[in-house]
Amino acid sequence: MPLLELKGIIKFFGKLAALENIDLQVNKGEILGIVGPNGSGKTTLINLISGYYRPTRGTIYFDGRKISGLRPDQIARLGIVRTFQSNVLFEGASVIESMMISSRLQYKTNEWQAFWETKAYKDEHEKIVGNALNTLRFVNIFNETFRPAAALPHGFQRMLGIGVALAANPSVLLIDEPTTGMNHEEAMGVVENIREINKQGVTVVLIEHNMRVLLNIATRVIVLNFGNKIADGDPHEMMSKPEVVEAYLGTETL
Amino acid sequence: MIIGRYYIDHKSVVPKIVIGALIALVAIFPLFTTNMVTLSIIILSGIWAIAVMGFLLILRTGQFSLGQAAFMAIGGYVSAILTVKMGMSYWPSFVAAGIISGVIAFIIGIVVLRAGGIYFSIITIAFGEIVRIVAMNWESVTQGASGILTHAPESLTVGNLEINFAASVVPYYYFMLLLVTVSALFYWQIDRTRIGGTFRSVAANPVLAEHLGINLMKHRLIAFTVAGLFTGLAGAYYVTFLSVMNPLIFDLWKSVQIMMMTIVGGMGSIVGGPIIGATLLYTLGIYLSRVPIPNIQYLVFGGVVVLLLLVLPKGTGLVDQWGKLWRRVFGEPEDFQMPGEEGMDEE
Amino acid sequence: MPPAGIWIDGLVQSCIYMTMAFGMVLVFSILGILNWTHGQFYMLGGFVVYYAVTAAGIPFPLSLLISGAVVGGLGMLVEKVVIERLTSPGYGILSVTAATNALIFFFEGAAGMGFGLMNKGMATVLPGVLDMGSFGVSYQKIAVIVFTLIIMVAMYIVLNLTKVGKAIRATSQEPDAASLYGVSVKWVRVIIMGIGCALAAMAGGVIGIVQSVNPFMGRIPMIMSLLAVVIGGLGSLTGAIVGGIMLGLLNSVIAYSISYYSEVALFMLVIILLLIRPQGLFGAAPK
Repeated sequence: MPLLELKGIIKFFGKLAALENIDLQVNKGEILGIVGPNGSGKTTLINLISGYYRPTRGTIYFDGRKISGLRPDQIARLGIVRTFQSNVLFEGASVIESMMISSRLQYKTNEWQAFWETKAYKDEHEKIVGNALNTLRFVNIFNETFRPAAALPHGFQRMLGIGVALAANPSVLLIDEPTTGMNHEEAMGVVENIREINKQGVTVVLIEHNMRVLLNIATRVIVLNFGNKIADGDPHEMMSKPEVVEAYLGTETL
Repeated sequence: MIIGRYYIDHKSVVPKIVIGALIALVAIFPLFTTNMVTLSIIILSGIWAIAVMGFLLILRTGQFSLGQAAFMAIGGYVSAILTVKMGMSYWPSFVAAGIISGVIAFIIGIVVLRAGGIYFSIITIAFGEIVRIVAMNWESVTQGASGILTHAPESLTVGNLEINFAASVVPYYYFMLLLVTVSALFYWQIDRTRIGGTFRSVAANPVLAEHLGINLMKHRLIAFTVAGLFTGLAGAYYVTFLSVMNPLIFDLWKSVQIMMMTIVGGMGSIVGGPIIGATLLYTLGIYLSRVPIPNIQYLVFGGVVVLLLLVLPKGTGLVDQWGKLWRRVFGEPEDFQMPGEEGMDEE
Repeated sequence: MPPAGIWIDGLVQSCIYMTMAFGMVLVFSILGILNWTHGQFYMLGGFVVYYAVTAAGIPFPLSLLISGAVVGGLGMLVEKVVIERLTSPGYGILSVTAATNALIFFFEGAAGMGFGLMNKGMATVLPGVLDMGSFGVSYQKIAVIVFTLIIMVAMYIVLNLTKVGKAIRATSQEPDAASLYGVSVKWVRVIIMGIGCALAAMAGGVIGIVQSVNPFMGRIPMIMSLLAVVIGGLGSLTGAIVGGIMLGLLNSVIAYSISYYSEVALFMLVIILLLIRPQGLFGAAPK
């Protein structure tokens, strides 16, 4: 059984179809790349899975359970966590504070224990702060721990975005264009991170514009064009299919 | 952990001993004067401060409620009706006022918190008006516009000390201090611990917070309910002190005043700001009402608030200036470091 | 079915709410804030017309224009001195909300000091009743409706056919586009605040012929037009007009049908509507 399954997903905005009848399976442990020209519905797809939008028709299953119609926070608590392309900051928060907000899901102590600051809470809190610092080390922004997140350079903010998503304990991580606006070195760091995250058992769904990055890490790729899935399969085979090349080369340069 | 505080944190600037000394001064104040008027002003300021803290707690989750005075009205009516009409003794009815106000806040919150931003503010105005109109027209219970006359709380006996509320204003003063202290500690603890951080994240970026597993509605509802509970207690005590309850005591304009007190006092500290804002504006209002020229008090009150808002730097209130003043006079404390010093406060 | 007189009364109220809500939405769409002092500009407009008509003997239509100019100028001053500063970056929405609320007290106090608290009426303007067979309508009520229509048509012309109007509409869609018309955004904001306040003032002046004016007359219309704005959808001018008309008629009809808790019923209706359709009738859907 696939871990995440989209059945007959249709999404309209007013009269405009953003996605037309998408069927999609995500298997446990893979890195699924989603490509397609601008406006092909990639981000809409992630918005649907994470619960930000509701599908006009169709159903989404996670682990055999229907999740379409749930709120984003319920879906996040089930273990499907996403990153955003641009919406990454808690205004005014420092890097570590942002991490601690997304670490909420790691706590076992309830609000009363936290309110009274019981020993159980304090011990747990210390451990979770440690986890957060480790995650920051992992995404290479440990040196920025106490800076305001808004003051970070763009590339660091994207890395923080991944760190924040990781702190929410995902079993499926949806990553939206993680390397946009990064230099080559930073991008390679992120690629390494994603590979490592995947190795630790997290299923990854990745939207990426940069084909080189995608071919490098994805184990499977689907191609979207005008809200339709036009191809699904091995990344390298994919690039030899004429309809894919046409959809892609028509609008983008590789 | 704290979000969104690039103001100067006065607590780490002004030594604790100074704050302690101020608190001690307030505690022994009735030794210097038992002047009814002076003490009344302090008592009522303190009660307003509790309501203002509630407003600020709701604001921490990113919503601003213009119906807070309605919860004071609910608290006031519950205690007045329970004591005068149903013959209950004061103290249980005081507790009941808080609980009922909290429960109503919870129920109302489930409905009105679904609307966000400015819609929420307007719906809370409508809610406040509904409470006022019902109080005005439900004569058999609230006695309409003429209002309910309440009597003093029964005297309490602690050890062999008898506290008689009917004899003097001093017991009211100390019970106000107790009430303010308990609510302030509760609010303060909420604000500085985990849930306070969650509140701020809900306000700072609701979409991101929701995608990280934070239930927005639940947290907004918690803030709204806690605020409703303490505001109800404040209302119940206010009414007892005034010894009358009618629909005009807590109308929309009191809700508006609560908002002004919040912003003038400053939002950097959930306890300090409300106390400063409420005391200052309430006292100003009282002294202005003694000026013999009719209507000048509204003019000056409004003018002063607008001027303060224009003069205070960028959305900070008086409490945020306290630390600045202290540093200017006494210099920088040695281990003090501004949070987020890398040029972020000019964002 | 309520009698025709009730509907006429409702329509008179609709005129006021519609004009005020329209001004409020206009200000909101350019300045991005709700002007909570709107009701007090309405009140001041009522006083200007009252004194112009009774003390100076100026004809009523001209008095309306004067009140629009005077109070509009006052609104521009408020924009320039208070709102512009408090909406600059770094201030939260709460600063300007608190300030415009404080101005409510300021203007009511000023009006109380200057004009006294007594009700002042202009019953001498347009006396008489138009006989409609089964019922009569006073000329004053007809005048309210007619003048409101004139004001709204004039508004339409200003917004759609003049250069300033084009700049205004451009600014509401794209703040940078205003410069294309050779008008600075700052200036458009001031003008819009002026127009919004002038509308409120004229509404106050118009109502002066059927009701009396006093320093607190702005409070209830302010709440009502706020509700009209959210019913119609924040930011939608059509919505403001429809919301205002709906609210005025509903208010009157509900008050006729249930006397005691009519306002409660009205507020409940608005709350229910907002919960079903949070963006209002004509507002853009979120997401």
